[in-house]
Amino acid sequence: MIKVALTQSDGKIEWLRITGDFFLHPEDLIEEMERVLIGLPVEEGEISDSIEKLVGKRNGTLVGVAPADIARCIMMAGDLGG
Amino acid sequence: MVEEWRFLDTGATDAYYNMALDEAIATARSKGKVPDTIRFFRWKPSAVSIGYFQGMEEEIDMAACRSMGVDYIRRITGGGAVYHDYDGELTYSILVDEANNLVPKDVLRSYDVLCSGLVIGLSLLGIPAEFKPINDIVVVGRKISGNAQTRRMGVVHQHGTILREVDPDVMYTLLKVPSEKIRDKLIKSAKERVTSISGYLGREVGFGELKAALKDGFERALNVRLVEGKTVEYEEELANQLRVKYASREWNFKR
Repeated sequence: MIKVALTQSDGKIEWLRITGDFFLHPEDLIEEMERVLIGLPVEEGEISDSIEKLVGKRNGTLVGVAPADIARCIMMAGDLGG
Repeated sequence: MVEEWRFLDTGATDAYYNMALDEAIATARSKGKVPDTIRFFRWKPSAVSIGYFQGMEEEIDMAACRSMGVDYIRRITGGGAVYHDYDGELTYSILVDEANNLVPKDVLRSYDVLCSGLVIGLSLLGIPAEFKPINDIVVVGRKISGNAQTRRMGVVHQHGTILREVDPDVMYTLLKVPSEKIRDKLIKSAKERVTSISGYLGREVGFGELKAALKDGFERALNVRLVEGKTVEYEEELANQLRVKYASREWNFKR
């Protein structure tokens, strides 16, 4: 399960925290992922692409969850008014 | 020629030392100071561990933990929250050079290979255990073992838990749940989805018998010989330093 806490301003990600019981190697890539996503528009495709590109660039591995799943959770957190 | 790995039984120590020693062994292995290693250990006092990416305050009822004398700690590995009962469970870790051909490069396949030691060990006790992807071991569809892996510094580091006895009531007292009604449902569901060695066999299996079977299982599954060994001074000193990190607020509440 992925949980996302998010604040946005003018349709852009202002701050977010991704937590959950997934696996990502190397683990500290999560902090970089959160940094990279800040400032992006709250737009599912763009978020998913950014996550995928970062994981690829760092030779990382997501286990049990795909970039699109994280993107979808971010969108849901956005819809809840975050 | 059968490969020789080091076997460590480090007994029962606290959560912070347990996780510190795992990282210290991984570091020592990466520097070539120690051979590939399998370690068995227990948790004293009992503790709840959360996955690297979980939020401590989101997952754990810390007041309940304090009142029951249970520690809480963040693991270096991902995955979910686990209750490590002093009497109810055994934990193992495997620390092996990533270049060792016994371990597949693919993370998902390597879970299967490394968990096969547990599967065979449990079968030696008469338990028809099976690996269930991604990282569980089940008996007739009910979970008996959860496992988690990380790869750092060229070392594959997998640890996991084997339930000797299980009491979901205690586990869900320590975890945060949305409401009492949902707590009851989660406990009921866990009693159906989770089993234990003593529960399945209907007899008490002691830690000595369990450890002997699992050690045998790892030797057969991985085709290695496990040689009883000791931690080296480097590991002990590093573990004592790392224990400070694992006991810190900064680490445990970082997410």
